[in-house]
Amino acid sequence: MKQFILSLIAVTTLLTACKKDNVPASTPADPAAYNVSVSGSTVNVRNLPADTIIGISGQGQPFGAGIYSFFNLRTNSWVSNADSNSTNWDLAFSGTTIRVNNATGGPGTGGAFVWVGAFESLTSIPVDSVFRVDNHPVSYAITKGSGKGWYNYDGANNLLTPIPGRVLVIRTANGKYAKLEVLNYYKGGVTPGANATDQVKINEQRYYTFRYTYQPNGTMNF
Amino acid sequence: MRKLFILPFVSILALAAGAQSDTLFNKTMDEIVVTATRTERKLGNVAVPVRIISQQTIRQSGSLRLKDILQEQTGIYITNGFGAGVQMQGLNPDYTLILIDGEPLVGRTAGVLDLNRISAGSVKKIEIVKGPSSSLYGSEAMAGVINIITDRSFRKNAELGIRYGFGDPDKGWASPWSNEAFKSLDLNARMGNTIGKFGWQYSGDALLFDGVSFRPFSTDRIAQPIRRFTNQLQTNYVFNQKSKFSLGIRHTLDHIRQEFAVGNNGNVTNSYGREQNSDLNISPVFLHQFNKNIRSSLRGYFTAYNGSQRLRFREVPDSAYNDEFRQNFYRIENQTDINSERSTLTLGAGYSLDQARSTRYDDLSSKKQNQILYGFVQEEWRPSDKITLIAGFRYDDNKLFAAAFSPKLALRYKASPKLSFNASVGRGFKAPDFRQLYLNFTNNAAGGYSVFGTIDAVKIITQLQQLGQISEVKEDFYKLKTLTPEFSTGANLGANFTIDSKLSGSLNIFRNDVENLIDVRQVATKSTGAQVFSYINVKKAFTQGTELELTWKPFSNLSISSGYQYLNTADKDERRSVKDGKQYTRDANGYSRLLQLKEYIGLPNRSRHMGNLKFTWQQPGLFYATLRFSYRSQWAVADKDGNGIYNEQDEFAKGSLLVNFTVGKELKNGWRLQAGIDNLGNYRDLSYLPNLQGRMIYLGANYRFFRNNKQ
Repeated sequence: MKQFILSLIAVTTLLTACKKDNVPASTPADPAAYNVSVSGSTVNVRNLPADTIIGISGQGQPFGAGIYSFFNLRTNSWVSNADSNSTNWDLAFSGTTIRVNNATGGPGTGGAFVWVGAFESLTSIPVDSVFRVDNHPVSYAITKGSGKGWYNYDGANNLLTPIPGRVLVIRTANGKYAKLEVLNYYKGGVTPGANATDQVKINEQRYYTFRYTYQPNGTMNF
Repeated sequence: MRKLFILPFVSILALAAGAQSDTLFNKTMDEIVVTATRTERKLGNVAVPVRIISQQTIRQSGSLRLKDILQEQTGIYITNGFGAGVQMQGLNPDYTLILIDGEPLVGRTAGVLDLNRISAGSVKKIEIVKGPSSSLYGSEAMAGVINIITDRSFRKNAELGIRYGFGDPDKGWASPWSNEAFKSLDLNARMGNTIGKFGWQYSGDALLFDGVSFRPFSTDRIAQPIRRFTNQLQTNYVFNQKSKFSLGIRHTLDHIRQEFAVGNNGNVTNSYGREQNSDLNISPVFLHQFNKNIRSSLRGYFTAYNGSQRLRFREVPDSAYNDEFRQNFYRIENQTDINSERSTLTLGAGYSLDQARSTRYDDLSSKKQNQILYGFVQEEWRPSDKITLIAGFRYDDNKLFAAAFSPKLALRYKASPKLSFNASVGRGFKAPDFRQLYLNFTNNAAGGYSVFGTIDAVKIITQLQQLGQISEVKEDFYKLKTLTPEFSTGANLGANFTIDSKLSGSLNIFRNDVENLIDVRQVATKSTGAQVFSYINVKKAFTQGTELELTWKPFSNLSISSGYQYLNTADKDERRSVKDGKQYTRDANGYSRLLQLKEYIGLPNRSRHMGNLKFTWQQPGLFYATLRFSYRSQWAVADKDGNGIYNEQDEFAKGSLLVNFTVGKELKNGWRLQAGIDNLGNYRDLSYLPNLQGRMIYLGANYRFFRNNKQ
């Protein structure tokens, strides 16, 4: 009974909290503050902020500033927002949304789909693969929602975890191919414990840690 | 049971003398048990796994509530969400039937019956039957049955008792007078007599507890301040040698002061208010012995559970949260036993009416109800002194969901006076509860998600659809239909053995296959994006394990008993997907790799290993002391690697070891004194065992009048 009530109260608290606190409480983390390390053909990116949370909405939902972190898989680097209408980026991250550079996303020829299996075991993209594109805001190449695309959301503990064995197969803005695995969604690449405070869980989320391999020769083999 | 107060009828001296002249095993095997077959049987002649907890054991452990006693039993774990529930043979609290004198308690929250509601004060013994017992008891008796049997001896007696306990989880050792210490006071009275043909026994208990804080003077509490009152009156009228009538009335009232703070993004909301739960049980029984061989009982039962919670949020003016749940249960039942030299035939039939009202349903004023008509038959056949064979079934027909047929077969083979084997197989079921049928709950504060019970789910969602409020209907929506009961098939295979006069024990291997488990599934999405949930029979699971108990009496004063359970569980669909190579986990670098079957854990909140060890020292006429250890290995609490199932890479709560100690003395002038320490090691785990309150020291005394009255 108490847990039932507690969950209700937690929710009410969020509601009342927002009434007081509707103005942004903080500024989003600097998207350029990430680390890259390259080992062989695999690139590891740590701590890429993706529209970190700045407040709680009137509906009790945490929100960010609504910005994207653009990333170029060819140059292994973050791309400034000023370059968003170009083919200089391949993926854009904002909260749990990952966008490709095509259709409603940008002028490129990007696309993506989610492949089930271990990263290493994807040595060549099946020839009959269908690359999807975004139809923002209705649907996305990389499906959103818990258990549908690349992550699971644990509502009881308020934690979001990338599903192991999910590879994002990417067609880049210039029509080449890459495979990418999201490793973690929290600051420092470490998911808070189930018993961490809500404050920690909210402040430390929306930091991507991922690894990828880009194939510059245009083939679908890695 | 931390209740030293009630030692009225059995003198320790007599027991100790008995133990010296007989082996512990044989004495135990001669105890009478009723729950296993619904007829009185010697424990040693019962074909299913049964444990008896005696009044002496309860007293010497100093336990006050049923929870405290059960958590020291082999293979039983006390869960702590929605009150203290019992996990038996690896199954959730929903699947163990709790009876008081053979009648069920109602008023479960999220499937859990809070064992804190039951005072150990008037308990004469507790019988625990493991394995499916729906063939005799119907719904909920899937993992087994716990029957609490109260004292009905109606001898002239009177007794008063007091116990004071205190502790300070932060300091470890508390001064009994310190403001920072938590305090617990229990007052207890019992009396009874027989006047001619009329006998009565009263038992009353009041527990006053001032709450435990995480920190001194904090409003965040591990346990809320509580006052619990239990009153129980048993009466008995013997018409003649063949007929008697008894009436039992039990009432409990819990008053809990709620005050807690919930923090969110630096904002703290303080909630305060009260929770009040009451429970009334009335059970008239008419018993008639037609002749030497035929005996019949007519039992009536009425119970009412009322739970309410009223809270306000300090920071929000005019805020109020009210939660009400009221359940009434009526039952009438006849049972007739026909005995012959080699057989006992038991026939029974009954009707029950279950009614509930709640703010969690569509409307507090609308009464939800279900009626069940049932019958059962059991034949116990004893072809020889060595063999007992039991076959029986029960049929439950009801208005709201599919009927349930629950057969059972059991065999006992007594190879020698020192060795006997048991084998049993049976079906258990659990009927869908009112929550799964009628819940109508929309959390407007949390984005407006809704949960609808299956009775009206399709209707409500279709209406919302017509109003344009549903954006998407999920695949599971089309699977919504009348819920069927959850079914299990359970098998138990065991042996009782005596090595010599000092060492004896028992072994039991069990397996439960559960199908049709009811799961909460998203069935639709509102146009606002909020989710709509309902209930579907989908999941399949198994639990299996081994239980070993040993008792060793190296010399007459010392008894050492130990118990161990190994448990293995799985969700069958999950296990298959792991086996088929469809599940992944992460290595130390966070990189995905295939999950091995041996890394799959199964169901969360279960420990693979559980054990207990108990030392009892008896110095007849002088004193007794008990030292009890209970251990539980780590258990999964959260899906850390995100694959949606529980495996070795996930988050675990650390294994815990609890130690309790009691010492007591019985004086010839009617006084009994006891002192003890619960949770001697001051073990705490605020994350995963938030209700574990730390070390508590207690002192108790009780006084018995009429001590010249021979028992």
